[in-house]
Amino acid sequence: MKLTRIAAVAASIGLTLGIAGCAPSAVPSREPIVIGSQAYYSNEIVAEAYALVLEDAGFAVERKFSLGQRDVYVPALVAGEIDLFPEYTGNLLQFFVPTATETAAEDVYAALATSLPEGLTALAMSPASDQDSYNVTQDFASANGVESIADLASLTDITLGGAPELAERPYGPAGLLAMYGVTVSFEATGDTTVESLVAGIVDMANVYSADPRIQQLGLVTLSDPLGLFLASNVVPIASEAVNADARALIDAVSAAMSAEDLVALNVRSVDEKLSAAVIAREWLVSEGLLD
Amino acid sequence: MLDFGGLGAWLSNPENWAGRYGLWNLVAEHLCLTFLAIVIAAIVAVPIGVAIGHFGRGEFLVVGLGSFSRAIPTMGLLFALVLVMGIQFRELSVVLALSAIAFPPLLAGAYSGVTTIPAWIRDSATAQGMTTGQLVRHVELPLASASIIGGFRIAYIQVVSTVVLAPLVGLGGVGFGIIQGLALRNFPQVTASSLVIIVITVTGDRVIGLFQRLAGARLSPPTPLEKS
Amino acid sequence: MEWFIANWTFVAGLAATHLSVSVGPIVVGAFLAVVSARITPPRWVNPTRGVLGAIYAIPSLALFVTLPVLIGTDFTGPTNVVIALTIYVIASMYFSAHDSFTQVPRPTVTNAESMGMNSWQVFVHVELPMAVPGLIAGLRVAAASTISIASIGAVVGVRNLGYLFIDGFQRKIPEEIITGILAICVIALTLDVGLWLVGRLMTRWRFVRVDHA
Repeated sequence: MKLTRIAAVAASIGLTLGIAGCAPSAVPSREPIVIGSQAYYSNEIVAEAYALVLEDAGFAVERKFSLGQRDVYVPALVAGEIDLFPEYTGNLLQFFVPTATETAAEDVYAALATSLPEGLTALAMSPASDQDSYNVTQDFASANGVESIADLASLTDITLGGAPELAERPYGPAGLLAMYGVTVSFEATGDTTVESLVAGIVDMANVYSADPRIQQLGLVTLSDPLGLFLASNVVPIASEAVNADARALIDAVSAAMSAEDLVALNVRSVDEKLSAAVIAREWLVSEGLLD
Repeated sequence: MLDFGGLGAWLSNPENWAGRYGLWNLVAEHLCLTFLAIVIAAIVAVPIGVAIGHFGRGEFLVVGLGSFSRAIPTMGLLFALVLVMGIQFRELSVVLALSAIAFPPLLAGAYSGVTTIPAWIRDSATAQGMTTGQLVRHVELPLASASIIGGFRIAYIQVVSTVVLAPLVGLGGVGFGIIQGLALRNFPQVTASSLVIIVITVTGDRVIGLFQRLAGARLSPPTPLEKS
Repeated sequence: MEWFIANWTFVAGLAATHLSVSVGPIVVGAFLAVVSARITPPRWVNPTRGVLGAIYAIPSLALFVTLPVLIGTDFTGPTNVVIALTIYVIASMYFSAHDSFTQVPRPTVTNAESMGMNSWQVFVHVELPMAVPGLIAGLRVAAASTISIASIGAVVGVRNLGYLFIDGFQRKIPEEIITGILAICVIALTLDVGLWLVGRLMTRWRFVRVDHA
């Protein structure tokens, strides 16, 4: 009696496992590709786009999103726990080579390709970029006639707002002084930087160039003729577990994503409060990368 | 990872103590925010707590707030209030968020201080002809003082801990060293800042505890522990 | 509400992580607190209280980032958070656990001993059951604050409900932050009611009506 019951249980477990084993994936035996993302809504949308095209082509995908800062996920990437990660050329280069001097997009990409740890590859970079930039309000720009960072040199009493770490970054106050002769006092405004700029608490703010609020609030991004900032294009970092077929799919996503597209995706995230998956899917469909 | 050399070097570098985001300034800012928030909360909470204890009405408010506040994440409360109130008055909104965090323990301290006074003490005061005002001023407040100070002690720990998160909403305080240090991977700075925070918190707690003991010679109901 | 409906699976995932980093510390911390409270020699009790009181006062973010220096863990990730929360649970429960044991009436223990129980039996069958109400009360306080403090782990890269605060603040979505606050409150209060029930069930003998007529 007891034995038959155990046999029945065992059989049903076996059956369940069997069914689960044959389930949706068209490429059943392959290990899933583990895709990571930063704890940054825009990055998560890009990661989700990778995941969706790979799934659509029959790859098994595992999402490990919102992994926080580079300290957390770069070791995991190096250790092979994560196979694919949307990154930014300039910021990632700075992580590996804090003293990097390259600023133009192609140079940064080339430098990054040679400084990645063993086993990791930078796939083709996207035209979309999300990099540090200095912004002022329209009023400030017209009142003081500034269009470029260089125009600030004649002004005094400029307060620069940004994340706490900007104080120590090469493009922070020290870089402004060395490259453009601009003296600023720094105010750490954290995640309230844009609001602080609009409220007049700071005169100039470090905002990521793909931040939707630059458009929405009509902020003026100052041009950077001398190349203070590193270009930071979206670039997928892949491990060897990502095969040529998968790489081709990701390359198509990177190529299709323009700088304007990335801003538009971020706008949807902030304005319509949609999830990354919804935003990414609709964009892929509109680009013809997904049905 | 054990990097006491780096820690010592960071702490002994005078550059890290001076300037807008130097340690002295950050400590002053940290204590200033804490102090303001507690004072504002106390002005409201202590009279209400004493009144509830005195009249014996509205106890559900104290009990409810007490158990509910323990479950409320202070970080979420801080972020939500700053976001909703806007950045224009960020100092004010941060201070008010911190006051909201200080409110329940201050209320509970004042309430339990008054309510645990034995009935016979109040009765004898009334029998001597004291008015309600005199009873509160000369009997209840002195006897409840240890418990009221106990409320300040818990409020201090909670607020001082929450101010550590202020850099995330654009203000300073010693948490700046932690948040900036994590982003820059400057771990000696992270460790040094957290040690300074620990010293501020534990010293403040001990100092208030000293006052509490001085005041508690008469009656001292045990105060519950809470933290954030 | 709209935001929550659209993102509830995401919130559920975060809640699962949240529970996974808090439940371990609550269970292990409670066990260690009870054991250490019971075996501390009387003259060590006050010094222990002093030290634990000081540890308990340490702000959580400060403790999360101090641990790596003390014990050599990585600066970010869940390990420090789990260890720090365990320490808080011990520090928070030690006081009430110690009081719960000292408040077991001496005559009851003496009775049990004279019935021939050895000290282990006295502990398991007499002291522990009689201390349960006090222990559960202490555990409820510790559990609620652990659930709430765990959210600060999001600052050091633990992806739990605290992430909703950081992400919501970045994207300026108040609903997201409020969802986080409510989710944490719901978990904490559910745990609280659960522990209260466990306490009731473990001490049913206290509620048996004895009819003396």
